Amino acid sequence: MNRIIILTPLIILLIICFFSLTYLLSGKDPNKPPSALLNKNVPSFESTSLYDTKETIRTTDIKNRKTLINFFASWCSPCKIEHPLFFEIGKKYPELYLLGFNHKDPTSDAKKYLEDDGNPYDFVGVDADGLIALEFGVFGLPETYLINEEGKIIFKFMGPITKDVLKNEIEPLL
Amino acid sequence: MSSLVGFLSLVFAIGINFYLFLSRYIFKFQKQKFNLFIRFSSLLTLLSFFSLMYAYVVSDFSNYNVFQNSHSNKPLIYKISGTWGNHEGSMLLWLSILSIFSFFFSFTKNIEDDFQKLTLIIQAFLHILFGLFIVFTSNPFLVNSILVNEGLGLNPILQDPGLAVHPPILYAGYVGYSIVFSIAIAGLFQNTDDEWLYVAKKWSLISWTFLTGGIALGSYWAYYELGWGGWWFWDPVENISLMPWIAGLALVHSLMMVRGEQAIKKWIVFLSILCFSLSVFGTFLVRSGILTSVHSFAADASRGIFILLIFFIVTGFGFLVFLLKEPKKSNTLNLLFINKVSALVINNILMIIATLTILLGTIYPIIIEVLHNKRISVGGPYFNATVIPIMIPGFLLMSIAPILSWQTNKINNSKKYVLAFIILSVLVLIQSYFLDFNTWGFVGLLLGFWIILASIIAIFSSYKIKINIKFFKIINPHVAHIGVGIAIVGITCSSVFQNELDFNLSEGDKFNINGKTVLFEKIETTNQINFQSLRGKFLFDIEKNQSKKIEAGKNYYPVSKMITSEAGILHEWNKDIYFILGDQKNNEWFVKVLINPFVSFIWLGVVIMIYSGLIAVTRR
Repeated sequence: MNRIIILTPLIILLIICFFSLTYLLSGKDPNKPPSALLNKNVPSFESTSLYDTKETIRTTDIKNRKTLINFFASWCSPCKIEHPLFFEIGKKYPELYLLGFNHKDPTSDAKKYLEDDGNPYDFVGVDADGLIALEFGVFGLPETYLINEEGKIIFKFMGPITKDVLKNEIEPLL
Repeated sequence: MSSLVGFLSLVFAIGINFYLFLSRYIFKFQKQKFNLFIRFSSLLTLLSFFSLMYAYVVSDFSNYNVFQNSHSNKPLIYKISGTWGNHEGSMLLWLSILSIFSFFFSFTKNIEDDFQKLTLIIQAFLHILFGLFIVFTSNPFLVNSILVNEGLGLNPILQDPGLAVHPPILYAGYVGYSIVFSIAIAGLFQNTDDEWLYVAKKWSLISWTFLTGGIALGSYWAYYELGWGGWWFWDPVENISLMPWIAGLALVHSLMMVRGEQAIKKWIVFLSILCFSLSVFGTFLVRSGILTSVHSFAADASRGIFILLIFFIVTGFGFLVFLLKEPKKSNTLNLLFINKVSALVINNILMIIATLTILLGTIYPIIIEVLHNKRISVGGPYFNATVIPIMIPGFLLMSIAPILSWQTNKINNSKKYVLAFIILSVLVLIQSYFLDFNTWGFVGLLLGFWIILASIIAIFSSYKIKINIKFFKIINPHVAHIGVGIAIVGITCSSVFQNELDFNLSEGDKFNINGKTVLFEKIETTNQINFQSLRGKFLFDIEKNQSKKIEAGKNYYPVSKMITSEAGILHEWNKDIYFILGDQKNNEWFVKVLINPFVSFIWLGVVIMIYSGLIAVTRR
């Protein structure tokens, strides 16, 4: 009995080291938490178009097609950095549905932003109060999600996507 | 040039330690020569550290580390503190403090030569491990490959006088446990007389006192710099410092109590190993960046693995020696229902449970993420709900523990204590009734005041009051406990009875806080040496002639493009009024005002604890 008590610290040490090492070797980045939504169904949402308030988009509208959802805003400078990449994606994968959500932005600012930098999206939904972002668990702008044909989130990226991310992480899924 | 000197002296110091380490097995030499070598290697390590500091002071951007973390515009004090404001430099500081402890330990008298030598050999071993870690993964002396004439700046949140001194003091606490660890292991190997316990007591008190100071400085910094109105957030990095602190507290108490009981001796060895293991584990968690926290440190897997290996070797070695060479058991403990020994045992058990609870909460997110690939965070609610109730019986006990007897169940003057407790309970209950009743508030206040009161009764009824140094040494345990009591009162009041007020204000507006009129004078922006400051200026209590000025705002650091918040705090003895300037919208500023009652008691309590720690070091 006494032996077991004295052994306990060593056992605890082994457990701690095992988990810490596994964590370190798995290449996880503590600043980029795994999304709780990964491999789950896309949250239900409903939004109106930035250009025409009568035009709406719902979760059901993106069923049966691959969709890339991007949260952006005119006040978000990292969004400007990734912006041109969406034109590239759109050109290379015309099948892919590009859905942009304009996050907490005055309509006029958003329109001007898309006028100046161009509009790569097939549909620009308005998320004026940030509720859709809340459903998706958006931490900060920009954030990008890839949804498969079954309506499941198969990829999530926080921060501006780069050419490397596009090539190594998004394209293999398309 | 200074970088070259620094690097060479570091490598040379590691080499000497390697030589000393081998001396146990191969080249044996005299004690004096041995000590000379230890001191020389310590001085070399310090030379290395000061070379880096020199590079910072003169803004030598040919050093890559200086280039990354400094800027020529920075005030001198922050250039100096920049030396340890980054990963590489802070590890060199770690090693330097280890060397300083070895240096001073080599002067210790009253212990056997062999014992001292073995302790220093273990220190040398630790020096080698951490020295290699620095050289191979965290070298602060790398040469900058491009020619530059300006640096990239220091994390602006660290540009604060409190924080400049916080890491060295905290590290002195962490690393101080290395010597306690080495003494304990040497004690296991040599199984000599009990003299080493007194040596260990001194060093563990020194480490604990430094750790207390370091943690307090960190909390105080968080309180006025982070602008969240609190001083403790159960952030992983805070938990990491709290664990060795609690274990160290258990160690100090055990060392005070030991009178040759083998069981307690064994326990002391266990705690000594645990304290240093927790320190190294803390270093691992922080330096690998494995946990996210307000302390954003660079994450690097290779460093993490290296330091995990060190943690594994040190802790594994320590506990393995403990397993194989455990002190022989002979006499049993004199445990009674309530005497000094039983109080000590209960207090130690509670402290260890608290430490393990914090450990579990801190590493739980790692375990869950490995197993489930889900990110969870364990925060305040868990720790408040677990750690505090565990500690409560300990707090109750500590008020009377110093006056308990060794041999009997008798408590002197027990009637006085019971009476005092009843009166106090009624008073606190009445106070709680008139303010908003809150269970935690009631419990906290009762505990805090009870500890203070019982300690004062103990001082007055157990000793003859004299004003001399000897008297202060005798009553020191009670004084320490009074410090804890005062801190508990402060902690309870500032957390339970905190009051928050929100305002939307334009310049020139007047508003009311606790019946005092406050004027929001104006917003002012100025350019300082290395930042731009935005300040909301407030005049508190304008009806009085001597109204007080409060400034709250933000600083913008253009070099690193960071904004820090600067809370404006009006300190009064019984409360802090804490102003936070928020964002501007439609010409109105969002201003949050927190009224934190009795925060100053926390710092007062801590100062008393530090004072007691220092007094205890001088007492045999």
